[in-house]
Amino acid sequence: MDSTMEGMLETYLFETNDLLDKLDEMLMKDEQEGDFSTDDVNEIFRIMHTIKGSSAMMEFTSISVIAHKIEDLFFVIRDKGIDFLKPQDKKDLFDLMFKSEDYLRGEVEKVENGEELLKDTSDFEKTIADFLVRIQKDEEEEEGKVPAASDNAKASASTDNKAASAPSDADHKLPEDPTAVKFIHVDLEEGVGMENLRAFMIVTALRDCDFDFREYPRDLATNAQTAQPIADNGFYLAFDDSDQCNRALAVLKTQAHIRSYEVIDSSKAEEKAAPAPAPEKAAASQKTSANAGPAKAPAPAAKANKPAPQQSHAPIKQSLISVNLQKLDALQNLVGEIVITESMVTSSPVLKMLPQEAFDSFTKSARQLRKLTNDLQDISMSLRMVSVSGVFQKMNRIVRDMTKKLNKDVRLTLVGEDTEVDKSIVDSIQDPIMHIVRNSMDHGIEETKEERIAAGKDPQGEIVLSAEHTSNEVIISCSDDGYGMDPQKMLDKAEEKGLLTKPRSEYTDSEALHLILLPGFSTNKEVTEYSGRGVGMDVVKRNVESVGGTVKIHSEKGKGTTITLKIPLTMAIVDGMKITVGDSIFTIPIADIQQSFKVTKDEIILDENGNEMIERMGEFYPVIRLDRFYGIPSLYGDNIEDGIMVWVENGDRSCVLYVDDLIGEQQVVVKPLPVYFNSFRLKEKGISGCSILGDGNICIILDIANIYAASIENA
Amino acid sequence: MEENVNQHALSEIDDETVEEENLDLKRCLSFVSGDILFFLSTEYVTEIINDHNITSLPGVPPYVRGVLNLRGSILPVVDIGVIMGHEETAYSQKTCIIVLNIDGMPVGIIVDSVRSVLDIDMKEVQALPLKNRHKLANGMLKLANGDIAMSFDCQSLLKE
Repeated sequence: MDSTMEGMLETYLFETNDLLDKLDEMLMKDEQEGDFSTDDVNEIFRIMHTIKGSSAMMEFTSISVIAHKIEDLFFVIRDKGIDFLKPQDKKDLFDLMFKSEDYLRGEVEKVENGEELLKDTSDFEKTIADFLVRIQKDEEEEEGKVPAASDNAKASASTDNKAASAPSDADHKLPEDPTAVKFIHVDLEEGVGMENLRAFMIVTALRDCDFDFREYPRDLATNAQTAQPIADNGFYLAFDDSDQCNRALAVLKTQAHIRSYEVIDSSKAEEKAAPAPAPEKAAASQKTSANAGPAKAPAPAAKANKPAPQQSHAPIKQSLISVNLQKLDALQNLVGEIVITESMVTSSPVLKMLPQEAFDSFTKSARQLRKLTNDLQDISMSLRMVSVSGVFQKMNRIVRDMTKKLNKDVRLTLVGEDTEVDKSIVDSIQDPIMHIVRNSMDHGIEETKEERIAAGKDPQGEIVLSAEHTSNEVIISCSDDGYGMDPQKMLDKAEEKGLLTKPRSEYTDSEALHLILLPGFSTNKEVTEYSGRGVGMDVVKRNVESVGGTVKIHSEKGKGTTITLKIPLTMAIVDGMKITVGDSIFTIPIADIQQSFKVTKDEIILDENGNEMIERMGEFYPVIRLDRFYGIPSLYGDNIEDGIMVWVENGDRSCVLYVDDLIGEQQVVVKPLPVYFNSFRLKEKGISGCSILGDGNICIILDIANIYAASIENA
Repeated sequence: MEENVNQHALSEIDDETVEEENLDLKRCLSFVSGDILFFLSTEYVTEIINDHNITSLPGVPPYVRGVLNLRGSILPVVDIGVIMGHEETAYSQKTCIIVLNIDGMPVGIIVDSVRSVLDIDMKEVQALPLKNRHKLANGMLKLANGDIAMSFDCQSLLKE
C-alpha cells in the first residue's frame, strides 16, 4: 500500500469511526426517548450514505453493502415518516440498528487490524431486508389512511411557471407560489461571494436528498444577476408539504455558508399580511395563498412576524480539525526543548560579564521571552487534552446491552464527563473502564429486583461513573450499589488458587479486596459472555499502571463497590526546585513544595522509636532525611542545623524533607527512566523520572507521594 | 566472456557460503575488564564512547553506576567489573563505555579498555568447564595469538 493510500485509509478510519460514534450516541438518545426523531432518521440515512460511499471507494465491500442496505431501509422510513412504524417495529428497529452498528464496527476494526473482511454478508443483508419487507407489509395494511401527498406535488409543478418569474426587485418578499405550504428563507453568510452559486449548491444538495421543492429566484443557477439580491435578502425554498420542509431543515443544517434560516408558514404569513398592501396581487390571482408573501417582508420583519415556535437557527460552524498525534508529540517535544533552551540561555554564566546596563536590558527581554515560552507551553499542552465523554458514552452502550442480556435493571449515571485529560490517557483507560463497568453489571449488581428490594435498595441498580481532576491527577471512579465484595470470600478464593503470599490472618480487609487485581483471580463460578474469565481486573491494573496510575478498591458488603483509578496528568514539563544531597542533584516539583526553612536542634521532636518530627503551623510532620533515605552521605553529616528543611505536600500526604542545599528553580522536561531500570522499582523509591539540565547533566526528579509511601507508610 | 566472469563470481560466492557454513564466523569486539579478555558480537554494539559524565542514581545495586546523557537520551550504565566482584572501575585514559543495544534496550557497560574487532568462529567457542558459576561469560576460546577470551553474555545484563 503506498503512502497516499495509507493516508486515505487513515482518514477513512477516522471518519467512519467518528460517524459510528455519532450513530451510537444518537441511537442511545433515541432509544431512551423511545422514538427516532425526524432529524435523526435523516442523519442516520446520511451517515449510512457516507459510509457506503467511502467504503465502496476503499473497496471494503462488506461494509459498503451493509451500509447500503441500511440506507435503503432508512430511505423508506424517511419517505414514509418515522411515525408509520408501530411501536414494536421501532423497538426492533433499535435492536437492528445496534446490531448493524456492531457489525460495521466489527468490520472496521478488521480493517484497522489488517484482517480480512467478511466475504459473505448475505445473512445480515437478509435480516435487514426482512425487516424492510415486514414494515412495508405492515404499512400496506394501513395504506388507506395515508393521504396521497405526491399527487399534490405533481399538480403544483405545473403552476410553478407563473410564480417562477419573481422579479428581482421583489426578492425580499415571499415568492409567489400558490401551492407552497411552507417556505424556508435562507440567509447566506456575508461576503462569501458568488451568492447565487452558493445557493445553487445548497439547492442541489437538497435535491440530492430527494426533496420536492422549488427555489426562488428560479434562475439563481444561471443568472449571475441574482447574486446581489441573494446576498442582500437571501433566497427562498418553497415546499408543498410541511413534512418535507421539516426534513429538509436537517439537511440544511449540514450545509456551509448559511448564516441563518427560518421557516415561514405561508398560510399564517397570509393572515398577518392581509391588511397590508399587496402590490403583487394582480400578478397571480388564481389562489389567495398566492398573496402569501407580501408581508412587510424583508427578512428581519418576517422574523418578527413568524409564529414563536419556529425559531431561526444559526448552524454551528465546524471549528475543529483533526491532527496527527505524532505531530502533536513532536510539537510538544520541541516546545519542551525550547523552554529548556530558554532557561539555558538566560542563566548562562557569560551574562555575568555584561556591563550592568546591558544586563538589565537583557533581563527585560529575557522576561518577555519567558512569558511567551510559558504561554506557548500551556497551549501546546492543552492541544492534547480531550474530554473523557467519548469513553464514558461508550459505557452507556455496554450497560444497555447488558441490562437486556442479563435482564437486570440498571442505570448508568455519568459525572464529570467533560473532564479533560491527555489523549494518551483516554486511550489507555478505555479498556479498564469497560472491564470495571462490565464487572459491576455482571457481579456487582444483584441478580433480581426482589433481591434488591429485600436488601432495602432501589429496585433499579445504579452504576456511577465519574471523572475529576485534582492538581496533578485525574481520578476516575466507578461505583455500583450492588452486593459489595466480601474480603473473606476473596481470601478463600485466593487461597484456593494459591495466590496468597503471606499467612491469611495477616491480610487486612483492604489487602484482601485488592487480591482481585492479581492475574488468574476470578470470583465468579460461571464464565459469562461479558466477564468472569479472570482476565479482567489484572488487565485493568496493568493498563492503568502503564500510564503510571494506581487502582484502589473500596467495598462494603451489601452496600456496593467503588473502584478508583488515579492517573497522573502527563506533566512533560515540570517547574522544579533543584536540591542537593551529597553530590547528587534532585528536582522536587514546585507544586509540591509548601515552604523551606532552617531548623535548630531544639525544634526536632523525637518519638519513642527515635523518628524525627517537626511542628509547622500547629501541626506535626514527620522528617525524612533524604541522605539516609537514599544512602547518600550528606555534606553536613548528621548536623541537621546545616542543611535545609523542605516542607512538601502531595494530596493528603505531607512531610518535611531534610536536604543539603537548595540550588534554585528550573523548568525541566521529564524523561522516563530507561527501561533497564524497570526491575529495580525505582518508582517505589520515589524516583519518577529524570531530566537533562541545560549544562548536559542529568538530574533526578523526585516523587513526593512515593517517598512518603516508602519511608512512612511502608517503613 | 561475460558468462565466464559471472560463473567465476558465482563459484566464489559459493565458496564463501560453504566456508561460512563450516566456520560460522561472527564479527566480534574484544575488550578487557578486570584483567579478563571478553568478546561480544558486534551486532549488539551501537558505539563506544569515552567522554562521559555519569550521574549516580540512588536505590540501585552498586554495579549500576548511574545514567549518562547520550546526546539527549538517557543511557543506563553498568560497571561489569563490579558484577565480577572487583572494585569500581577506576577512570583512566583507556576506560570507555561500550553502548549496547540488547533486544532493543540500550545499556552502556564500563570496561577497562577496548582491544579490537575480530572474526571469531562461533563453533570454536567452548563451554566453560565450571558450570553455573559465571554471571557474565557463557563460553571461552583460545585466540590465534594464544590469548584466552571469554564470550560475554549480553542477556546476563538483563537477568541481573
